[in-house]
Amino acid sequence: MSNDYTSSEAHPIQVSNETALPYELTDVVPPSETNFIKVNDFRFFYGKKEVLHGVNLEIPSRRVTSFIGPSGCGKSTLLRNFNRMNELIPGVRHEGDITIHGTSIFDPSVEVIALRRRIGMVFQKSNPFPMSIYGNIVYPLRIAGQGDRSMLDETVERCLRSAALWDEVKDRLHESALGLSGGQMQRLCIARAIASRPEILLMDEPCSALDPIATAKVEELIIELKRNFTIIIVTHNMHQASRVSELTAFFYLGNLVEFDETRKIFTNPSKLQTEEYITGRFG
Amino acid sequence: MLRNRFLTGLCIALSLLTLFPLISIVILVIRNGLPLISMNLFTQLSPAPGLEGGGFGNAIMGTLVMVCISLLLAVPLGILSAVYINEYAPVSPVSSAVRFVAKLLTGIPSIICGVFAFAAVVMTSQHFSAIAGGVALAILILPIILLTSEQALMGVSVSYREASYGVGATPFQTIWRIVLPDAMPAIMTGIMLAVSRAAGETAPVLFTALFSQNWITSVFEPTASLSVLIYNFASLPYAYHIKLAWSASLVLVTLVTLTNILSQMIFSPKQR
Amino acid sequence: MHTEPSRPHTLTDFTTALDQLRGSVLTMASLTKKNLQNSIQGLFLRDDDFCNHSIADDEEIDLLEIQIDREGIDVMSRFQPVAKDLREVISSIKIGANIERVADQAVNIARRARKLNEHPELHELHLLDQVIKLSLEMFEDAIRAFAERNASLAVELKARDKILDRLNKEATDELINRMQDDSRNLPAFLNMIFISRCLERIGDHAANIAEDVVFAVRAEDIRHLGK
Repeated sequence: MSNDYTSSEAHPIQVSNETALPYELTDVVPPSETNFIKVNDFRFFYGKKEVLHGVNLEIPSRRVTSFIGPSGCGKSTLLRNFNRMNELIPGVRHEGDITIHGTSIFDPSVEVIALRRRIGMVFQKSNPFPMSIYGNIVYPLRIAGQGDRSMLDETVERCLRSAALWDEVKDRLHESALGLSGGQMQRLCIARAIASRPEILLMDEPCSALDPIATAKVEELIIELKRNFTIIIVTHNMHQASRVSELTAFFYLGNLVEFDETRKIFTNPSKLQTEEYITGRFG
Repeated sequence: MLRNRFLTGLCIALSLLTLFPLISIVILVIRNGLPLISMNLFTQLSPAPGLEGGGFGNAIMGTLVMVCISLLLAVPLGILSAVYINEYAPVSPVSSAVRFVAKLLTGIPSIICGVFAFAAVVMTSQHFSAIAGGVALAILILPIILLTSEQALMGVSVSYREASYGVGATPFQTIWRIVLPDAMPAIMTGIMLAVSRAAGETAPVLFTALFSQNWITSVFEPTASLSVLIYNFASLPYAYHIKLAWSASLVLVTLVTLTNILSQMIFSPKQR
Repeated sequence: MHTEPSRPHTLTDFTTALDQLRGSVLTMASLTKKNLQNSIQGLFLRDDDFCNHSIADDEEIDLLEIQIDREGIDVMSRFQPVAKDLREVISSIKIGANIERVADQAVNIARRARKLNEHPELHELHLLDQVIKLSLEMFEDAIRAFAERNASLAVELKARDKILDRLNKEATDELINRMQDDSRNLPAFLNMIFISRCLERIGDHAANIAEDVVFAVRAEDIRHLGK
């Protein structure tokens, strides 16, 4: 990999100018690569407590990968490291590395802000801003300096259509987002997450607060979105993992126990621990 | 069962009792102040001792001017400090110190604010002035604004900030576009509280802005204020001036109450 | 794979349901084995009572097949099993179907035996001795492999099925020769040929059961290999 950090085409995450428009960078969709995101011997600490012990993982692009495991196993912690959200917590540190497209995300030349604009995140409890639906979706664009009205309008429609929400809200774009139902709010958050055309979409238990129908709609959405995004989803609902993901990583007590095709994990896992967890014998 | 009823009755009685002083004050002020209420109060200057007629328009102006000066000083300082201690460095020695000192300052006797402003502004400039009065009031209300703003910021849901950082916003963008707008209703309520406090204080204004019989012409000059006027006129042996003092009290109380009610009406509905 | 019995489910109902399904299969198997033995007894002792028992008791076995299917579907819809549990449930349902076929063959043998008993005793019956012995052993071993979750035993059964096929062919060929020599007893010899074929089919079903056991235990599909 070249170390030319001024060339933004080769390294989409190297946006050095804070107001650079994100659109030009992803017109060329990269082909699927197996080691798009690489986690190398990654250890993570909250203060003195080690919560991730030497994780090694290669996540391919444009697939859905799920992280499963019992509470406290570290799956959410690892997820939040991909966009360095954990750095908002004081007293954390890490050892080892995470690279995207060959470049370490912890490299000093990588701006955290730029990194986060290349990666979309959807949280467990939907968190739309207390503004209009329109305002929510264009927020990522506005903070990147994009103010062109027609561009914003087009983005809003594109994102809402992608999130299967357009028909439901197209007549009330300027009403408050807080007036939507739970499932609609989460789909709005997904629409917001893809507004700046990130390459990667991180989802931290996106359906755990939703009813079954809303969950099914979000799952359908995930399967649709994977054509254009690399999706990593943390879920404690194993059946969801088996429905939507192609690859599954099973974590336990901060260790990656097994990582394989979802189909294999759920019919014939290699590790006894994995089998015991997914069949409900412990956890 | 009987004990239950007794205690319930006791609570009701005591609650009504707490209303008593408030209601009595209001009734008293209205009864004594209402007779002289007219537009003259707002447009005319005070009569000389012994004479009748006139009003205290300059005192009203003076109070308004000094409150505005104090807001100009205390509001930016208070809000931005609150932003720092809550958003940028919530867990740090500096923030802990600021919080501690602010809480101390809320208990400071208002006359001390006046004395400080006297030493800092009046003595250095060799003038009593409205500005000195404004400074004294600013010191008084700064901790209120800072602490209520901090509370307002803490009341903003963490998830908004998380969502904002998640899409790659800087801390400044997050604060400016999301946190402050959401906290603004609560911050404004805090400011209104501060305004009502500042408008009614006598001691800080007493030896900083002194008093004046005339309309205010410059902020570098002494100025009249409602609170000092009440103090002055109430100690005069002239019945008319005493009545004016009552009317001034009524005006002051009304102003403060209106400000409170207005702020509740404008800003509360947003707090759903 | 992981053949040792593992700890029970966090959800007790799940363990209970799986155990119950397993129990139904084993019950069905032992009833079938008894029917088979009755049929063979009826054949050799020339006693129609045994044959009649066998035919009558088949009804219970049919009901068990329905019960197993119901229990299996119940487990799947209630608990959405995965991995080992899923394979066990599916295998149990398939094995239930295979056992039912074995029971049907036992009835066929009983019917043929009754027909044979109308004729005088023929020593050619003993041509079937080896076929009978191997067929019964295979069925018994298949069930044992299921009960013990023993995949290696199951794998052996496929090889023995080939031997059974050969034995059946030999017996059939010999009986055909006898038919040509002794045309008076043609019907009897025909019945014997049919009985031999029933036994050969039982062996096939035992081999199928073995394949399902291997799938449940090892997640390997050993069907249709090398055909």
